[in-house]
Amino acid sequence: MKVLVFTIGTDRYGLPLRAVSRVLPVMAMKQIPGAPDFVAGLMDLHGMPVPVLDVSRLAGVAVEQFWLDSRIVLIDYVADGALDAAGQRQLGLLVEHVVGIDDVAEATLHDPGIDGAPFLGQVAASLQIVEVNELLAPDVRALLFPRQAAGESA
Amino acid sequence: MFKSLSIKTKITVGLAGIAALFLILLILAYNNFSKLSAANRWDRHTLQVLLETNQITTSVLQIQSATRGFMLTGSETLIDPISKEQAQAKAHLEKVRTLTLDNASQQDRVRKLEPMMNDWIVNVINPLIAKRRELNKTVGMTQQAASAADVLNGSRTIADIRGLIAEMGDEESRLLAARSTESASLQQSMFLLLTAGGALCLALTGLIAYLLINALLTPLNRLTDAVGRIAAGEQSARAEVLADDELGKVATEFNRMAQSIQDSQAKELAATNMLRAKVDSLLDVVSKAASGDLTGAVTVEGQDAIGLLGNGLKRMFDNLRVLLNNVQKAGIQVTTSATEIAASAKQQEATGIEQAQTSVEILSTTKEISANTTQLLRTMEDATAVADFTTNATAEAQTNLRRMDLTMQHMVAATDSINAKLAALSEKASNINGVLITITKVADQTNILSLNAAIEAEKAGDAGRGFSVVATEIRRLADQTSVSTWDIDQMLKEMQSAVSASVMGMDKFSEEIRRSVGEVRQVTEQLSSVMDQVQKLAPQFDLVLQGMQSQAVGASQISDTMLQLNDATQQTVESLKATSEAVHQLQYAAGDLQSSVATFSVNS
Repeated sequence: MKVLVFTIGTDRYGLPLRAVSRVLPVMAMKQIPGAPDFVAGLMDLHGMPVPVLDVSRLAGVAVEQFWLDSRIVLIDYVADGALDAAGQRQLGLLVEHVVGIDDVAEATLHDPGIDGAPFLGQVAASLQIVEVNELLAPDVRALLFPRQAAGESA
Repeated sequence: MFKSLSIKTKITVGLAGIAALFLILLILAYNNFSKLSAANRWDRHTLQVLLETNQITTSVLQIQSATRGFMLTGSETLIDPISKEQAQAKAHLEKVRTLTLDNASQQDRVRKLEPMMNDWIVNVINPLIAKRRELNKTVGMTQQAASAADVLNGSRTIADIRGLIAEMGDEESRLLAARSTESASLQQSMFLLLTAGGALCLALTGLIAYLLINALLTPLNRLTDAVGRIAAGEQSARAEVLADDELGKVATEFNRMAQSIQDSQAKELAATNMLRAKVDSLLDVVSKAASGDLTGAVTVEGQDAIGLLGNGLKRMFDNLRVLLNNVQKAGIQVTTSATEIAASAKQQEATGIEQAQTSVEILSTTKEISANTTQLLRTMEDATAVADFTTNATAEAQTNLRRMDLTMQHMVAATDSINAKLAALSEKASNINGVLITITKVADQTNILSLNAAIEAEKAGDAGRGFSVVATEIRRLADQTSVSTWDIDQMLKEMQSAVSASVMGMDKFSEEIRRSVGEVRQVTEQLSSVMDQVQKLAPQFDLVLQGMQSQAVGASQISDTMLQLNDATQQTVESLKATSEAVHQLQYAAGDLQSSVATFSVNS
């Protein structure tokens, strides 16, 4: 399985490549007042507002600055009832130290055995898989995708 | 009066009284005894006299009976004892006379008795004896030889004698009776004396002993009682002074001692209480001081140890208060000064770095000057040679000097041109920097591009595998580009700083050159006048040459000095950095000092 390798604090994490849509440089983002602090803001992607999550802050590690290799990873967020016309919803993840692409053999992946953040998945060597679909808690999802939630209820 | 006597006198008086009583008793008894023995002697004397008178009576009776026997028998043997008895009677009579020398009536009787006896013997006995003897001569005739008259005559005489002797015996018996009565009365009085005197002596002795014991024991008991009460804690107990003797003095002294002990104990208690109060007050102030509050005032004063201690503590606290005030003020001042020093140190540091750069430039300039001077020297040597060779070559030398002036001016121009070129270089470097930023951006974009390419390749599956390899290569190239760009950036920064330093150095250098040009012109002018002299006095040219040589040496010395100055400036910069660091530490220390001192309160 190919993953995009980045770091939270000093640890390496892998984002499954099949979920990744694009990698973008860090750009100006509009702040969303009242949102949780791990929401970095809204970025303008070819005229479309896309919410960006600060993964480091989501994992509880404060980030002081943007590095040269800090990136926004655009993913196709797939969640129950969160489908738009294309069946998916785009979401930006602000991650730091994007090292590159790594190939992780399926056989080396194991369950961690310890429950941490809900979005943390299996572990291989010094790398832990991030489950993209578990990134948002229901209330945050409702905050970020109100239209879809409203559409669902209607 | 008895109380004022000393114990020794009391005992002596008592014992002497007892001894005197016994002595009087003994004298009286002795007197009576001697009277008794005298009475006894007189009794014996009377009895002796009675015995002697009886002996006389016996002798008279013996003579009478012997005479009667002879009368009856006519035997001569019967009258033999008469003369012996007569002698005995006389001897006894003599004895009676000696014994009764003190009695006149008895002496009278003795004196009468002696002639009566002799008369009797001679007138009665002897005639009777003689008559019988006559009868004896008439044989066988028994007749009465003695008439009644003779016998009667003899009987009268005998009766007188016996009467006298009886009188004497009666006298003695009367005396004896009188003496016996006297001795019996003596005995009676002796018995009375011994009984009454002994009883009186015992009574008096007992009285004296009682008085003595009383006089000795009563004060002792009072003393013992007082000592016991003091020992039981009754401080005010005193012994009553009863007499003026030694025990009285002991009691007085004891009372004084007890009083002084009581006084001293009361004094000591008062002193202890005062001391405790002072120490408590001191302790209160010191405790407050220990917790940082120095505002407590020491109220204990005096010349004793605690007072001195209090004074010392007061002085110490005053000094400490002043000291802490000063320290607080000094802490603030130190902080302020340290901040100022830090600022000025930073300023100095900057100035020092500037100086260091300047001195490097001066050094190179000085080297240039040295080289120029050497060249000048050579020219001078040539000139000298020319002067030596021909004195007419002075004009040429002047021309050379002017050329040198021109060269210097060219040098100034060249320096200006170098400055301009350096400015251009700096601008170019800035341009390069802009290009580098562009390259960095491109490398970053390339990196993202490669990542996206890899993602797309992954999504394309097997079809994109080859593209994936290409994407990896692109990413590697982008990384290399980034690294190289960073290297170039660093080098460019170094170059820019070097260029700006060079510009500054060149400015200084130009300044130096201009000054050197002035100096060379001056030298040229001087040289011109010297040349005039040289032209006139060729040998003096050598002196000029020597001057030039020393100038060259001076230039090289300047060069050396500049080298040293450069080193010194570097050291100054280093030390200024160290000073800056030290001042920072000083600031921290001053802050600590202030916060430490602030825990003390000094103003009430």
